[in-house]
Amino acid sequence: MSANTPPPAAAPDGDPDGHPGRDTDLHGVAKRAIRDVMPLYLPTIPFALVLGVAITESAMPTAVGYSSNLMFAGASQLATVTLAGTATWLTLVITASVINLRHVMYSAAMSTHFRDQPTWFRWVGSFVLIDQMFALTVNRTDMAPSVWRRYYMGAGVFLLVAWIAGVTIGMAVGSAIPTEWRLDITPAVMFGGLVVMGISTRPAAAAAITGAAVCFACLGIPNNGGILLGALAGVTAGFLADRASTRRTRPQEPRRIS
Amino acid sequence: MSAGPAFAAIVVISIVTYISRAGLILFLADRQLPTEAVRALRYVAPAVLSALTVNLLAGGQGMSGVTGSEVAAVGVGAVVAALTKNLIASLFAGMVTIWIIILVT
Repeated sequence: MSANTPPPAAAPDGDPDGHPGRDTDLHGVAKRAIRDVMPLYLPTIPFALVLGVAITESAMPTAVGYSSNLMFAGASQLATVTLAGTATWLTLVITASVINLRHVMYSAAMSTHFRDQPTWFRWVGSFVLIDQMFALTVNRTDMAPSVWRRYYMGAGVFLLVAWIAGVTIGMAVGSAIPTEWRLDITPAVMFGGLVVMGISTRPAAAAAITGAAVCFACLGIPNNGGILLGALAGVTAGFLADRASTRRTRPQEPRRIS
Repeated sequence: MSAGPAFAAIVVISIVTYISRAGLILFLADRQLPTEAVRALRYVAPAVLSALTVNLLAGGQGMSGVTGSEVAAVGVGAVVAALTKNLIASLFAGMVTIWIIILVT
């Protein structure tokens, strides 16, 4: 399907005179999205439970801590409710906001997908652009814009609802889970697997290795600054490796090392 | 922290977070990016996600937060992910690894 063709999503769901085949197809897309996002969702459960416990123990009123779900950003939410007792208002806001700066890079990388989408969806879809959504959808270039939109929304709405449910359960029973189970490391294991599965070229491997190494070297930087520095270094490494390999395949542009 | 300022903080952080996510999607929607920028954006996913993995391993405790058993769990998970292309299998293998290490040591 060319980019100029309007997305075939005009027929409303359940239209008896519409296109049942297409409607069923789109319905299947949302289901497929939820099935595909499940491995990414499972590791967030321990995190949601921990956050639920932290909300009940926070220095801010429980209802206000619960409203942190407005951010839909686990690490920022955890920082907000745990720092409320010790940090000043401004420190709290800056710390929790800086944690999410990596989303600026997601936003840039996803802009090519959203270019084919209607304006309303650019506004709505952005809200659920969390790590898992980015990992799930950024490489799905095989879908027509309307299918991609349904896929994205299926996974996004599921993650949002399931996340809030997990936090709520954590507030009720989260403190009963033994810490020896080490469920806290499940997100790291999941993202590690995801990185490996996403690497298909040498420049991508260079980006991943550099990103991890630089982040490790910069772990001492406050506010998760290591993620940003690692990401910038990794993107630079991938970009340079990509350009170098393109040059090698183009002999008319010889490169001399002086 | 009392309810008013706390809720105000949450609203401000939520807005900043939303702008981080929506900003460039909205700004770049009707603009063409230079090809070199598009080339660089291809490497956002591997770079950010691997940095995020390391950061999650540290758990906010700096380099000392990265322990051998955790690295082993992520390593086994990564190998299984590469071999099976199955994220659930990868997660399961990684967690079983750390449970065995905990039981043995």
